[in-house]
Amino acid sequence: MSLAGRCFYLQFLKNDHYTKQCLKQQKGQIPYKPQRGVILDSRGRVLAASNKVRNIIIEPKRVMDPKELSSELQPILDMGAHVICKLITESKNPGYVKIKADASLVECQAARRISSAVGVESDWRRHYPMGRLVSHVVGFTSLYNHGLEGIEYQYNEQLSGLGAQDIFLADNRRRPICPAPIEQRPADNEEVKSSVLTNGAGIILTIDATIQQFVRDELVKQYENYEAESAVAIVVEPKTGAILAMVSVPDYDPAKAHSTEAENRRNKLLTDEFEPGSIIKPFVAAIALDAGVVNKTEKIYCEEGHYSGNGFGSIGEYRNGYGDLTVSEILINSSNVGMAKIGQRLGKKRLYEGLRLFGFGKRVGIDLPGEADGLLWHTRKWNGYSVTRIPFGQEITVTSMQLIRAFCILANRGRMVRPFLVRAVVDSKGEITELKRPLPPVGYIVKPEVAQWIVNEALVGVVNEKKRAKLEKWQVFGKTGTANIAKSNERGYSKSDYVASFLAGAPVEDPAIVVLVSIRKPNKSLGKGYTGGIVASPVAGAIIEKTLNYLETRYARADY
Amino acid sequence: MSRLYFVFVVFCFTAVLIFAVYLRSANNHIFYKLCACRSEQGRLKQELGTKQLLLEGFINPAAVSQRFGSFNTSD
Repeated sequence: MSLAGRCFYLQFLKNDHYTKQCLKQQKGQIPYKPQRGVILDSRGRVLAASNKVRNIIIEPKRVMDPKELSSELQPILDMGAHVICKLITESKNPGYVKIKADASLVECQAARRISSAVGVESDWRRHYPMGRLVSHVVGFTSLYNHGLEGIEYQYNEQLSGLGAQDIFLADNRRRPICPAPIEQRPADNEEVKSSVLTNGAGIILTIDATIQQFVRDELVKQYENYEAESAVAIVVEPKTGAILAMVSVPDYDPAKAHSTEAENRRNKLLTDEFEPGSIIKPFVAAIALDAGVVNKTEKIYCEEGHYSGNGFGSIGEYRNGYGDLTVSEILINSSNVGMAKIGQRLGKKRLYEGLRLFGFGKRVGIDLPGEADGLLWHTRKWNGYSVTRIPFGQEITVTSMQLIRAFCILANRGRMVRPFLVRAVVDSKGEITELKRPLPPVGYIVKPEVAQWIVNEALVGVVNEKKRAKLEKWQVFGKTGTANIAKSNERGYSKSDYVASFLAGAPVEDPAIVVLVSIRKPNKSLGKGYTGGIVASPVAGAIIEKTLNYLETRYARADY
Repeated sequence: MSRLYFVFVVFCFTAVLIFAVYLRSANNHIFYKLCACRSEQGRLKQELGTKQLLLEGFINPAAVSQRFGSFNTSD
């Protein structure tokens, strides 16, 4: 009777309680971390990808004798026993300590046989097969796979994916034997909503790793040759705005980013503003021609190199003084006096509005973090100096990104262009989920004939007459710039510190690429020169030659 | 004869019982095998991914340029 009574009590009255306990004991779960999406270049080469690694972990509270366990694990893991013992005994978490990351399958299997306190967890590790080649574009992730820089940061949400959890019933050896009943699965308000894992989306860039390599090779050579402080270079398709290459040195290895200086991790193409110097002259000349304040044939007297007056101080030339020059000659000879006079004719309002239309004083809006605005004061803050100094690149700061965009406008016959870096977002199966190409440009910044004249006449003249980046196979157009760097601790400009730049494009008949090379503080004391024409233009010439040869070969193969 | 028949019946009955017990847990066996196979499939996919990354590391422009550089210096 008592037995029957007890059975009745357990089976009926306490049925729910023991069923719940039983299910709790039998329930097992496996959390799945999503695989972070890949980052590819425009030709599908891997720039960043994640791969699974095995970590050997220990549950310190279940270890009876840490010294004994450490000495048993030492030959298997090829680690010092004292190191393992220290990790176990000094762990702040009694339930978990990582002993070895990225262990091999053999090590994991052998370690698990030693003790039940030893376990294996899998984790994702990020790989960067191209190393420092695309470090400033791709960026890097933290140890927990969160993007911290570059595309990894900008597209962290798309790259991360969504985790999942599998819940099942297990036997006494914790082997899964059947899926858990519906009521045991996570409720809607719990963090993990689904048992369906969603891996991260892939990002396809406009960068071509081959062109990136050309650019980096040439830039690093010159950077080391002139013992410069830093150097940047960028290659863009002027018609579409697609960025084919983007290099900033000094750079870093993304796999070792955490031990790299913060200075080297900065993408100086976006973050560093500088007074551009003569390289801004073509844009001011285009604005003036478009406004009709000068024409292509008139001669402007350049005061033999000394121009002064009330309200704007004294303006000199870099080398020789000049007499009468046309607009084309002003650009070819890079006359500061000529540009100052053009600025005075334009006046504050037109000069300011023209420069804003070319994109100066505001961000380009590229898919990378940390972009600076540059500095173009509103005309309210201008004085007589401003309207004469800005035309030859002082009293205004720009980023390299703004310069290349403005040059794309000229190369693209005056049409607006917006540089972009991400071509498409794809899902884990490779299907395109989002095409990122910007809308085709509408409207003109300057008249097409003005842009064409500046490029075909003046900028071709800079290359041909001054022999800057001249190539046999293609006609290059470009402009040099040698900008003084302001002193940091007092007024005025440094006599030894310059930014040597060269903006170029080719071929002039139908520009396929535009290039900016900018080298900061080439060592003047080496006696090799420091100007844009000497330091930056050979780099640009070499980049253009290699890139056009490569693009010709690529298109020829595609046709074939 | 009837003794043999009896043994045969008992044998068949036992076999059926054992088979019934096996069938009861067949679902669990299959589920476990499925989980094990999925895990193995995942492991193989990862191994393939690792090999692919290794290969990419050898043939990408950065690696090729480095090797050409070392050939030139050794010449």
